Amino acid sequence: MADGRTLAPHRPELVTEGPAPSRPRWLEMVMSSDHKDVGRIYIGASLSFLVLGIIAFLLMRLQLAVPENDLIEPVTFNRLLSVGSATLIVLFALPFVFGLFTYVVPLQIGARSLAFPRLASLSLWLFVLGGALLYVCFVYTPPEAGFNAWPPLSDTVFISNNGVDVWITAVGLTALGLVLQSINLAVTVSKLRAPGLAWRRLPTFSFSAAVSSWTMIIAGTAMVAALVMLEIDRHFGGVFFDPGQGGAPLYYQHLSWIFFTGCYLVFLLPAIGAISEILPVFSGKPLLSRRAVVVSMAAIMPLGLLAWMQNMMSASIPIGFLYAAMLMALLLVIPIGAVFVNWIGTLAGGVLRTRAPLVFSLAAISTLSFGLILELIQSVIPVNWLLADTTASTAASGYVLVGGPVLGGFAALYYWFPKMTGRVMGEGLARSSATLIVLGAHVTFIPLFLAGLEGQQVDIFKFFEASDAINAMSLNAYNLIATIGAFVLSLGVVLTLVNAYASLKSGVRAGHDPWGGETLEWFATSPPPPHNFDVVPDVRSDEPLRDIREAVRRRDASGAAPAETREPVA
Amino acid sequence: MLALLSPPGGHSPNADDINTLYWVMLVAGIILLLAINGALLAVLMRFRSARGRQPRRLVVRRPAQFGTAGLFAVFALAAFVLGVIETDNAKKVEASGPDGLQASTLITAQRGLTLPVGKTAPLEIKACGQQWIWRYEYPDGTYSYYELVVPVDTAVILKLCSTDVVHRWYVPGLSGKFDATPGESNQAWFKADQQGIYDGASYAFSGTSYAVMRTRVRVVDVPTYQSWLQQQAAGIQEAQNFVQQANQEG
Repeated sequence: MADGRTLAPHRPELVTEGPAPSRPRWLEMVMSSDHKDVGRIYIGASLSFLVLGIIAFLLMRLQLAVPENDLIEPVTFNRLLSVGSATLIVLFALPFVFGLFTYVVPLQIGARSLAFPRLASLSLWLFVLGGALLYVCFVYTPPEAGFNAWPPLSDTVFISNNGVDVWITAVGLTALGLVLQSINLAVTVSKLRAPGLAWRRLPTFSFSAAVSSWTMIIAGTAMVAALVMLEIDRHFGGVFFDPGQGGAPLYYQHLSWIFFTGCYLVFLLPAIGAISEILPVFSGKPLLSRRAVVVSMAAIMPLGLLAWMQNMMSASIPIGFLYAAMLMALLLVIPIGAVFVNWIGTLAGGVLRTRAPLVFSLAAISTLSFGLILELIQSVIPVNWLLADTTASTAASGYVLVGGPVLGGFAALYYWFPKMTGRVMGEGLARSSATLIVLGAHVTFIPLFLAGLEGQQVDIFKFFEASDAINAMSLNAYNLIATIGAFVLSLGVVLTLVNAYASLKSGVRAGHDPWGGETLEWFATSPPPPHNFDVVPDVRSDEPLRDIREAVRRRDASGAAPAETREPVA
Repeated sequence: MLALLSPPGGHSPNADDINTLYWVMLVAGIILLLAINGALLAVLMRFRSARGRQPRRLVVRRPAQFGTAGLFAVFALAAFVLGVIETDNAKKVEASGPDGLQASTLITAQRGLTLPVGKTAPLEIKACGQQWIWRYEYPDGTYSYYELVVPVDTAVILKLCSTDVVHRWYVPGLSGKFDATPGESNQAWFKADQQGIYDGASYAFSGTSYAVMRTRVRVVDVPTYQSWLQQQAAGIQEAQNFVQQANQEG
């Protein structure tokens, strides 16, 4: 579409496609450093780990279905706990959103590749290696030091087998890979934007990629440092976290909480970015205030990271620091509230097309509201003393995990799947999947919240009946209902995975712009060629594709020869 | 419904502070939750795709945006101030009441707790976590495992310590959660207003048998407490004598 300034500038464009590949397709993909191949393997691998994480989660919920259950041995339960939580957070949630970033961001900003293509494949294979390592150890010794492997428990004195070393290596390699990819994405967004695509016009998803990347650069490096020190403590005579010799276990708690707080933000920010992109497209009107959403995302990151001590309210830390953490956590209500107001304002007055991406976005907004409000309640110190480390806090983070990377990530997957594969995912399965996930989340997490209020701990391999009869009855009922809910939730998640797999071959064929999107990725073909764009258009507004459609319409109206290229679907 | 959402009844002044703030935050949270989800549902019902209708842009001026942000900011700051006040209250150790133990024990410098001014000093008990049991040491050197026996209406300060990994002491209805970290000192306190049995546990993952690391606080009247203490001391003495004898014989 070489007509007019908006469409294609007359400047030399060099496109190198290289010779036709002689190697088999899969080998070509594995060896590739093209961001689209890397992104697709990232997404595929993280979704496979999601299945493994769900299996671990369901086994743990089965054990906790009835009081004093003997289904799973304590050690096995702790191993499932250690591997399962690392899987869901570090091997599913983070790589899934970073895979989406890797695929979508260069297309969205009109770049032909990432800033460092080979760094992207290095980060991918570091993650796959780390994940594989964590599961290969099941034939040997799995880790059993819990969700964040606190010393002294994770020291050789208490757990002398090599399971903890495997956990450290697996989480460390994945975190390192994510830090590398974050650097890559941050540079890509900063330096490779199409001409005219100023920061203020940057699509919200790409903006969330930049903010998430900076979060991971800070939080991921803290974790890699903590893990290296832990390993030195374990096997090389270090005393970083040894209270007897001038070290302190508290140091590791700080570092690991900085990381997991960063993970929490990466659950949230990409979902905000993706939903803010999907709502305008499916309601037919732009974001209520794009600037407010972007500024909010930029504010959530520093406030959220600075609130890491919110997880350590019971530790012996001088109260002034805890007040500061509480203030940061409470101030988060301003940017997050602004985002919610903007979402509802975007939907209001629009013409809503309830296709799968919008259905998942709405489900994500509702589920996130539950999780974030439970977090808000707990961010006040005395309430934190009441609810932290009980299943009430599990409920809060569970809601955020389901609302963010699961529902929000799936919304993004449904939205960009046609771009990745050239086919649209099935609508019927999408609806049942979203319904089951939302229903399952409530049936799981509301009873868990109530059980936590009674004082049920997190991470226990069995629960006991309370001493008084009324509480005992309710604890039994809560846990049984939560287990049923967990199966419903998992079924919903699996339905979307099945949908994605089936649609790869049999989905309805999509043009290059099935939804009528406004951002540059819909300018490329589906799937895009290796170099993404034959011609990178100049960007003149927030909605470059609207300008292009407008220009085409004007040209057609003026009686010129019909466009030779495929006309964008309006 | 309200009964389901209520935390374990407070039986100590600081637990009452915690519960008060829980209710305030819960009500605020439920209002926000209903507002967001109600608006979402209303918008979905009202603006479902209809033929021929054009999307209508809302125009939001900047003062309205700042107004909304200001509203959230006021809420955050109010919650912060309330949180600081209640935390401060919960950290203030109350003097023992008239029914409580009127003894005086040696007070060491306390970090993080405000002590009452007056004649009756709080009862200071050492609570040490170890894999997977709690050990309580009373001022006279007597000790007990699993069960902590304290007099009613008496301010009790728990000096938390750990001999191995990180543990976290919490008995619902009596206090908040506090860490027992090796190498760090930490305190919890409570003043039970009613005799009875309170079940609690450790709330920090501590390895294989974490789930069985539970504890119990038995609150009794002062005479019972004193006679229990003597009994316990006698029992310990007897056991030590037995071990000594066995050693001499062996």
